[in-house]
Amino acid sequence: MTTGLDRFGALLTGATPDRVPIVCNLLDQGAGELGVSLKHYYSSGDLVAEGQVRLREKYGYDTLLGMFYSALEAEVLGCRNIVYADDGPPNVGHLAIGRPEDIGKLHVPDDLNDHPRFRQLTHCIRMLKQESQGRWPVLGVVTASFSLPSMLMGIGQWMDLFLNGDIQLRDRLLELCSQFCSRQITALREAGADLIVYVDPVASATFITPAKFRELALPWVIRDLEDPGPAGVVFFNGGGKINPILADLKEHTGIGAYYLNPYDDIAEARNILGPQALIAAAINDIRLIDWSPQEIDREVEGIMQAGKRAGGFAFGTLLMPFRIPEPNIRALVDAAIKHGSYGDGLP
Amino acid sequence: MADSMEQRTLNAYLQALFDTDKAAALKVIQESLDDGMAPEKVIFDIVVPGMERMIGGMISTDNLITLSQHFLASQIAEEVTDRLIPLFASAPEVQGHVVIGTSHGDFHGLGKKIVSGCLKARMFQVTDLGINVAPERFVEAALSANAQVIGISSMMIHTATGERGPKRVRQLLNEQGLEHKMRIIVGGAPYRFHDNLFREVGADAWADTAAEAPAVVARLVKELRS
Repeated sequence: MTTGLDRFGALLTGATPDRVPIVCNLLDQGAGELGVSLKHYYSSGDLVAEGQVRLREKYGYDTLLGMFYSALEAEVLGCRNIVYADDGPPNVGHLAIGRPEDIGKLHVPDDLNDHPRFRQLTHCIRMLKQESQGRWPVLGVVTASFSLPSMLMGIGQWMDLFLNGDIQLRDRLLELCSQFCSRQITALREAGADLIVYVDPVASATFITPAKFRELALPWVIRDLEDPGPAGVVFFNGGGKINPILADLKEHTGIGAYYLNPYDDIAEARNILGPQALIAAAINDIRLIDWSPQEIDREVEGIMQAGKRAGGFAFGTLLMPFRIPEPNIRALVDAAIKHGSYGDGLP
Repeated sequence: MADSMEQRTLNAYLQALFDTDKAAALKVIQESLDDGMAPEKVIFDIVVPGMERMIGGMISTDNLITLSQHFLASQIAEEVTDRLIPLFASAPEVQGHVVIGTSHGDFHGLGKKIVSGCLKARMFQVTDLGINVAPERFVEAALSANAQVIGISSMMIHTATGERGPKRVRQLLNEQGLEHKMRIIVGGAPYRFHDNLFREVGADAWADTAAEAPAVVARLVKELRS
C-alpha cells in the first residue's frame, strides 16, 4: 500500500508519487464522529486522537492533524476564558494582554507540558504517531511570533503597536512570543510531529505590504526557527495571500514547504520558489458548504491541473468549517484522488 | 494653485497612509489646518478621499493594499473626524445612524473598526456595540438609537451562519414588526469567500470592502426613507 508518508517522501526527494497527496484539515468534525460536545472533545488528547484517526480512515486523505484549536496557544500564555460553540472552533474570550503593562507579566513556561491542555495536545500527537505506524505524516501546528499577539491583545491593538507603537514594548512582546513559538515547535516534534505547520497570517500580504514584511515580520520568522531549525516546517498562509513574500522567505529562512492561499497563483509560486520546494495548493473550503458534488469535482480538477503543471505539489484545504456536509467532504477527497492521479507518469 | 497645493497635500497624506506611518499622516493634517485649510476641506478633500482610495485599493499601480493600510486609514479618519466636526462652520448633515458590532461568539473586532471609521468620516452616526454581541442587543440598541441600519461583522463561518448571528437579528426584526424600519448589512471574511452568503444569513446587503460600506449603507437608508 502506498501511504501518505510515501507520497510526501516522493515529493520531497523530487520523485513522482502515485497521486497528489491530500491534506484535509478537519478539526471540530472529530467531535461529531465520537458523538461528544466540542468542549468535552477538546478536554482530552485521547478523544482528539481518536477523532482524527476516525476522520482519516473515513475519508481516506493522507495526513493526521495533531491540533486542537488556535486559541489553545493563548490559553497557555494566560487567556482565562475560552468560549466554546456547538458548531465552530473555540475562541479567545479574554485577552491576556489587556493593557501595555501586561506584556511585562507575560510568562512563557520553560516546559510547555506543565500546562494541562498543552499536555493533552502532546499526548494526542504521541497517540497519532503511534497509530500512524509510519504511514501518515502527523502535523503539528504553531502560530508564528508575529501573529500570536493578535490572540493575546486583539488584532487592532497589535496593529497599533507594531505599526506605530513603542518599539521596545513591541520587541519585548515579540521576543516572548518567539520564545514560545520555538519551544512549541520543539515540544511538538518531541511528541512525534513529522511536519510543523507554521501559521503566520499577520505577516501575509493580505495584512502588511512586502516592505513591512521584510522590515517587521521576516526577522521574527528567522528568529522563531533559529533554535528548532526549519526542517519539516511548512509556511501556512493562515487565510492571507503569500505569493508576494515567498521570495524573501525562500532566501532567508530555509523553509522548504509553502501552503498557498486559494487566491495565490501556484504557477507564480513555483516560479518564485524553484523546483525544489514543496507547494500545497488550497481550495476555498467555505464554498464546500454548498457547492454540489459536481461543482466540487470541477473545482478540484482545476486545482489539480494547475498544480500538476507547476510540478510536484500537495492538495489541501484551509481549516474546514464544521458546516460542510459529509457528502461534500467525500466528494472533495474522491475528486482529489481521481484528478490527482499521476497515472500518466508525468508530474 | 490652490488645487495643486491640495493635490500635493493629498499625495503626501496618501504616501503616509501607504507607509502606515500614522505620525506622518497626522502631521500632514495638522500642517493643512495650520496653513488655513478649513476643517470641512480637510475632511472631505483629504481625509475621506485618502481613506477611500486606500481602502478601495485604487492607489497608484500597486494593488497590494493591505489590511494594515485599511486599518490606519480608517483609524485616522475616525480620529480626525471626531476632532474636526465641532470646528465645522455649520453642523454637517447626518447621513443616517448605524448600530455596528461583531456577531455573537465572535471576538474579532478589526473589520468592524475599519468600517466604523469609514462611516463616521462619511457623516454617519455610529453606535459601536463592540465584539460578541447578542442578537437581542443589536435590535435593542438600534431601537434605542433610532438607527436605520444594523451592521454585523463576522470573521468565522459559524458566527456568520449560526443561530445567534444575523439570522436571529432578522428573525427579531420580523417578530417585532421592525423590518420596514431597519436594514441589516453584514461583512467579514466568510462573505468574501462566498458571494451569496449574505442572503442566506438574512441580510439586506454586504460590502466587500470597508470603503464600499458608506455607499451601501446610504442606499439602505435611502430605501427606508423613500
